[in-house]
Amino acid sequence: MASISLKRITSTWIITVMVLFVIAILFGITMRFNQGKLIQISPTSFYSIMTVHGLTMIGIWSVAGLAAIHYLLSRYLSIPTSISVFAFIFTVLGVVMLWSSAFIGEFHAGWTFLYPLPFKVAWKSWATPLFLSGLAVLGVAWLVWSVGILYQILKKYTITQTLGWQHFSTNPSIETPPLILISTVSLIGIIVCLLSAVVLLVLFFAEYFSNGAYSNDPLLMKNITYFFGHTIANETLYLGLASLYELMPEISKKPKFKTTWYVALAWNCTLVFILTAFFHHLYMDFVQPLGFQMIGQLASYFASLPAAAVTAFSVAVLVYKNQIRWSLSNILFFLGVMGWIIGGIGALIDATISNNIILHNTLWVPAHFHTYNAMGNVLFSLAFFVWVANDFSDLPVDSGIPKFIISLLVLGGFGFVLMFYLGGAMSIPRRFALYPPEFNNLSWLATLGGWFAVVYLISILFIFFTILKKCLKVFSAS
Amino acid sequence: MKEHTLILLLFLVISIAIMGLFLVIFQSSKIENETGMQNPKKKRFFFFIILASILLVLLSITIPKSPYFQYADNSPAKVVYIAAQQYVFLSSFQAITLDNINTEAIEVPANEVIEFRVTSLDVNHGFAIYNDKAELVTQTQAMPGYINKLRWKFTEPGKYNILCLEFCGGGHSFMRSSFTVK
Repeated sequence: MASISLKRITSTWIITVMVLFVIAILFGITMRFNQGKLIQISPTSFYSIMTVHGLTMIGIWSVAGLAAIHYLLSRYLSIPTSISVFAFIFTVLGVVMLWSSAFIGEFHAGWTFLYPLPFKVAWKSWATPLFLSGLAVLGVAWLVWSVGILYQILKKYTITQTLGWQHFSTNPSIETPPLILISTVSLIGIIVCLLSAVVLLVLFFAEYFSNGAYSNDPLLMKNITYFFGHTIANETLYLGLASLYELMPEISKKPKFKTTWYVALAWNCTLVFILTAFFHHLYMDFVQPLGFQMIGQLASYFASLPAAAVTAFSVAVLVYKNQIRWSLSNILFFLGVMGWIIGGIGALIDATISNNIILHNTLWVPAHFHTYNAMGNVLFSLAFFVWVANDFSDLPVDSGIPKFIISLLVLGGFGFVLMFYLGGAMSIPRRFALYPPEFNNLSWLATLGGWFAVVYLISILFIFFTILKKCLKVFSAS
Repeated sequence: MKEHTLILLLFLVISIAIMGLFLVIFQSSKIENETGMQNPKKKRFFFFIILASILLVLLSITIPKSPYFQYADNSPAKVVYIAAQQYVFLSSFQAITLDNINTEAIEVPANEVIEFRVTSLDVNHGFAIYNDKAELVTQTQAMPGYINKLRWKFTEPGKYNILCLEFCGGGHSFMRSSFTVK
């Protein structure tokens, strides 16, 4: 049972995430309209916006996932609300620092801030240390939050129980709820990748303060950067799935999902494979050891299989020829699984080395990650938001599928990513403020993509206003 | 049919099939008498086996086609040195270093293996070769302190453009060069 303080901080997270999401979508639309020549902004402004857009999107859906599991785990455990409040304060501080470095300091090294680009200062000299410090603040906040939740899980369950290992025997002594299993797997991944971010930042600062006496290895820095970036993006998605496993059957008035040997095996495999799949970001660095390149493709293929196949099949069993009481939240979960799988196919194609040579850093890359984020993970978190908003207030619970909102969401979301896929297949590079002359005739793809994003944004605003009143209600409750 | 088009078609066909499958599953939830999925354990077993088999087949077909193995046994007819720096590509038939910066027009023969030795003099860049139809032919990264060796055999003579495919700063989208295949 969630306490009123937990409800209030969760509500605060939801409103903050939704406001930042709307702003970050507007940033994205600005970039697509600039590429389509509908508007004109300077390359510096474009890349500052690009830097903020990427970091904000990854950041808000990470905290949305953490806020969701924090709330849902309170059904099984007692987790201090104070760590969520601490994380919120530091997250706001970190976001202000990052946005200031980009919009006042003109920092524009991208969310990847690939070494040594942050040191080739083409912006205010203070913007680089402010940007790196902002990341450090966010890292501390999320590390404390993740470790705090995991600590509480481990106070109730042993580590082998959290990973569901007892389900490999015929008569498991205790059942690990899927929420515990998936939260643990995701939190371990998040903690490991946040620790890698600490190492990355220490190496950056070591060079920054050494006055030229020390320099880093670019290949090592690239590996750490992508280990951090790739892993956090994927673990964020798994946090969304933790909500799905806990809530979708409940909302659909069906028996809860149970952890069985194959569910436990799938998520244990995911934990291992996802930590090595990041190598696919370095396929085009031929100096990377060949073994890592092979592991990259192997892990990318088999990271996707267990979690995706088990989840998709479980959802199919839940819905197929079963009467479902559809509402906004469970249709968002259902559509989210579809978007995640389709984005996963796009990712799998790109993670194939022989394809990557003609797709790497083309628009195929934002195509697939926008699919499994905007039409996958975001929908999982939105489903939680809608469900929890009903938990916050005694206002009437919406029932049935709001067809208009869902139609806009599907049309806008898939239309938006389709323009990226077409651009990627036509070899258009990503992260170009303006298309090069040979692609001038294809700038309409960017404009149309921007308009589809507007349609998507309208559906998001509808969902936001559906839940906002209920989220605000919790602050007046006693 | 070009590889790019094949990839797109493959993706679109699979995506539409997935959408269709989800639609069928969704529609089936509107029935009066629910029966649920029959023999889900058996279906799940075959579902996993089929998926794993497809992935294993794809792995065995695609891994040997990786660029690291292409033309590995051939001796290159020409070696071209590429050094990227914000926001230009230096190219030469002689090694380029910070102490020996030089650049020249590049012309290489068609139907011969060419080796590009690609590095960067400042930040990470991309080295992507586009043909005259604006199709991405091949690429590698340009990383400071490292030399990536990219081998390719050009079958079509003509002008090839080089674009930077790794974000490298404010002038990234203007960074380009070209060479000729005869």
